[in-house]
Amino acid sequence: MRRLLLVLLAIVALLPADAGAAKKIQVVTTIPDLADMTRKVAGDLADVSSIATGVEDIHAVPMKPKFAVLLNRADVVILMGLEAEHAFLPALLDASRNPKIRRDAPGYIDTSVYVPVLEVPSRLDRSLGDQHPMGNPHINLDPVRGKSMVRAIADGLARNFPEHASTFQKNAAAYTKELDAAIARWQQEAAPLKGKKLVSYHPDLIYFVERFGLEAFGTIEMRPGIDPTPSHVADLIERMRQAKVEIVVRERHYPAGLAETVAKATGAKLVELPAMVGGVPEADNYIAFIDYNIRALVKAATGG
Amino acid sequence: MHPSAAVWIRRIIASALGILLAAAPFPAPAQQAPGDAQLRQELDAVKEQLRRVEQQMRQQEELIRRLSPGTPPVAAPPATPGAPGVAAPPRPAPVPPMTVDVEELRRMILADIQPQLTAANKTFASQFNPAIGFIVDTVFSHSRENKSNFEFRSGEIGISASVDPFARAYAIINGTPDGVEVEEAAIVTTALPWGFTVKGGRFFAEFGRLSTFHDHDLPFVNRPLVLDRFIGGESQADGVEVNWLAPTPQYLAFTVGAYNKIGAANDRVDNRIPRDISEFTFLGRLHTAFSLTDSLGIDVGLSDAYTPEVRNVGLKPRNVFGADFTVRYAPLSQAAYRGFVWGSEFLVNHETRPGITPTEDSPDQIFRVRDAFGGYSYFEARLTRRYYPGVLFEYVQDIDRPASRTWALSPYFTIWASEFQRLRLQYTRLETNSPKQTDDQFFLQWTIIMGSHAHSFRDR
Ligand SMILES: [Zn+2]
Repeated sequence: MRRLLLVLLAIVALLPADAGAAKKIQVVTTIPDLADMTRKVAGDLADVSSIATGVEDIHAVPMKPKFAVLLNRADVVILMGLEAEHAFLPALLDASRNPKIRRDAPGYIDTSVYVPVLEVPSRLDRSLGDQHPMGNPHINLDPVRGKSMVRAIADGLARNFPEHASTFQKNAAAYTKELDAAIARWQQEAAPLKGKKLVSYHPDLIYFVERFGLEAFGTIEMRPGIDPTPSHVADLIERMRQAKVEIVVRERHYPAGLAETVAKATGAKLVELPAMVGGVPEADNYIAFIDYNIRALVKAATGG
Repeated sequence: MHPSAAVWIRRIIASALGILLAAAPFPAPAQQAPGDAQLRQELDAVKEQLRRVEQQMRQQEELIRRLSPGTPPVAAPPATPGAPGVAAPPRPAPVPPMTVDVEELRRMILADIQPQLTAANKTFASQFNPAIGFIVDTVFSHSRENKSNFEFRSGEIGISASVDPFARAYAIINGTPDGVEVEEAAIVTTALPWGFTVKGGRFFAEFGRLSTFHDHDLPFVNRPLVLDRFIGGESQADGVEVNWLAPTPQYLAFTVGAYNKIGAANDRVDNRIPRDISEFTFLGRLHTAFSLTDSLGIDVGLSDAYTPEVRNVGLKPRNVFGADFTVRYAPLSQAAYRGFVWGSEFLVNHETRPGITPTEDSPDQIFRVRDAFGGYSYFEARLTRRYYPGVLFEYVQDIDRPASRTWALSPYFTIWASEFQRLRLQYTRLETNSPKQTDDQFFLQWTIIMGSHAHSFRDR
C-alpha cells in the first residue's frame, strides 16, 4: 500500500513538467461543427478536438473512457447546449474531474446563449418525448444561428483567455463575414426549395427549414427520441399524400428502411443528409456542410 | 407593455439596425456578385428602406432638439428621445449627426423590458430542492420449485443535488416488502485538483462492475449468483473512498477505500460494531479501457477487497479478488440501434471459514482456509432502439463446500418502450451438483423511471 502511494505521488510530482510542455489552449468540443468554428476563432492559439466525429446521433453519442481523459486535460469545453448533449456530456464531465469545465464554470462554453430557440415546450412532460426539453437544440443546421454560435465561442474564449480577446474577436468577425457571404449565396441557391414540404426522421431540420423557406410537415419519429408505432407511420403517410409532401429526409444516423418505406408509399423523394459536420466526407467544414445539405435538397426538389 | 413605450422601442431598434447596416465596414455581399439582377433589386430595396429610416431619424432628432432647450443644437444624442423614465444626459462634445450610442440604446431597451424579465424569472422557495426520481421495479416470477409470485421488488426514490461549490450528494432510499432502507447516501467532492474525488457515507463500493448497479439497473432480472454469494448482493458499504484519474493519455482510474464491510447482504460482520482501525475492509481497484476501433472497445477492471481478522466478532481474514471485462460494440452512426455488450466477471473468495461446529468433545472452533471460484458472462445484443436480447451464463462454488457447484443459464429479452419504461422476459435453468438440484424459472419484469434520471459513466 505504501509503495503504491509513493508511486502515485511520484506521478503527481511529474505532472507540472508534463503540462508545461504544451502551452496551447486545450479545447474540446462536443461536435465537429463547433471544432471547425473554434479553429476559425482561435487560430493557432488552440488545440481543438471534438468528441463526436459527425456521423453520430447527437442524442446517442457513445461514452468512451478516452473522452474522460480528453476532458480531463481541457481548458474549456464547447457545446451546443439546450440539453442536446444530455446523453453523454454530463456523465463525461463528471468522469473527467476537471473543475474548470464543470457546468456553468467559466470553461463551460454553451453556444446556444445568443440563439433564438424554437419549439420550446410550454409544458414539460415525458409523454411528449424526452430529447428536447429546452426547445429544439439542432441549431447548427441554420448558418445564421451558426453566426451566433461563433459569437458565443469568441466571447467564451475571451472570458477564459482575456489576453487573446482581441484576436478571438477579430477572427470571429472575419469568419462571420465569410459566413455572411455564404449565407447570401445559399439564399439564392435555395430558391427552388421555397414552399416545399418536408418530412424528416427526427425534428432536427426546423431551423434549416425556417431559414430557407421550406415547410417542416412532420417526422417519422413519433416524438423526439421515441420510435414510431405502425399507426403513427400509417397516419403520417396518409397525411403526406393529402398534403403532397415532396421530400423525405433521412438523417444518416437513423435507420434506412422506414424512411424508404414512407418515401415509396407517398412518392416523395428520399434525401439522406448529415446532421453535423463530418456526417459525410464532403462536409468536412461548417460551410461545406451547409453547402452539402442545400445542394442535396435542391437536387431532390428539382428532380435531379 | 405601455403602447407608446413599445412604439419607441420599435423605432429605436429600427434606427439602430439601419445605422448599423449603413456603418458596416464591409461591402454588402451582393456587390461581390454583380450581374445578378435579382440581388441588385433586393439591395436597392434595402437602400430605399435605409433612406426612409434615416429620414425618420433626422425628424426625430429635430424634434428632440426642439424639446430640450438646454442642449446645444449640434450635440443632440440622436437615440435618447424622451423614453419613459430616462433623462437624456447632455453631451459635452459635439457628436456627428449619424452616430448612435449603442450602449445607451441597449440600456434603455433593457430598462423597458426589465419588468417583464423579472416577472418571467420567478423564484420559488423550493427551487433549491434536489432533483428527484422514482423507480418502480416489479416482477412476476414462476419457478418449478418455488411456485408463482407477483413480486413487488422495490419502489426507490433517488435524490441528488450540488451541496456547494465543493461537493455534490445523492441518496437512494428503497422501499421493499422487507421495509424501508437507506440504500445509498453519499457525499462526493467535485473540486479537488489533480483528478481526485473523495466519496463518503453509504454507497456502493467500487468492486467490479455489476456490484455497483442497483437491482433494477442490471441487464437481467436477477443479480448474478457469484455476486450474491461472494459480495452479498450490491456492494453497499459504509466508509470512505478515494478515486484518482491518472493524468495519462491512457484512461487509468484507481480507487482505494476503507469500509465497515462490503455487501448489503454480507452478514459476516455488522455495520454497527466498532472495531480497531486495522479491522476495516480495505479495497483497491484499477480500471482501464482500450479502444480497439471507433466502434469496439474493452474495459478491464481488477478489484481486491481485504478484510483482516475482526477479533471481537471472531471473524477470520478474508480476501475477495475480482477481474471484470466488458467488450462493447457500438457503430458510431447507429449507436442507438445496433451494437452489443459482452460482460464478464470472475471472482475468487479466499477465506478462513469456521469448520466443524464445536461439540462437547472438541469445544474449540476449527477454522479452515478455503477458496471458492465463481463468475458470470453475458452477451446482450441491440437489435433496434427497442429490442435487446441476451443470454447469461453463471457458475459458482460454495465457499463452505467447494465441491458443491451451481450453474445457471438465462436467455432473456428486454423491450424498451422508451428510455423510461422497460419490459423483460427471462428464463433461467439452474443446476446444483451436490445436493443434486435443478429448477426452471420464468420471470416477467416491468420497470419504470419517473422524474430525474442521469446517465452515469459507471453504469454504461
Ligand atoms: Zn434532437
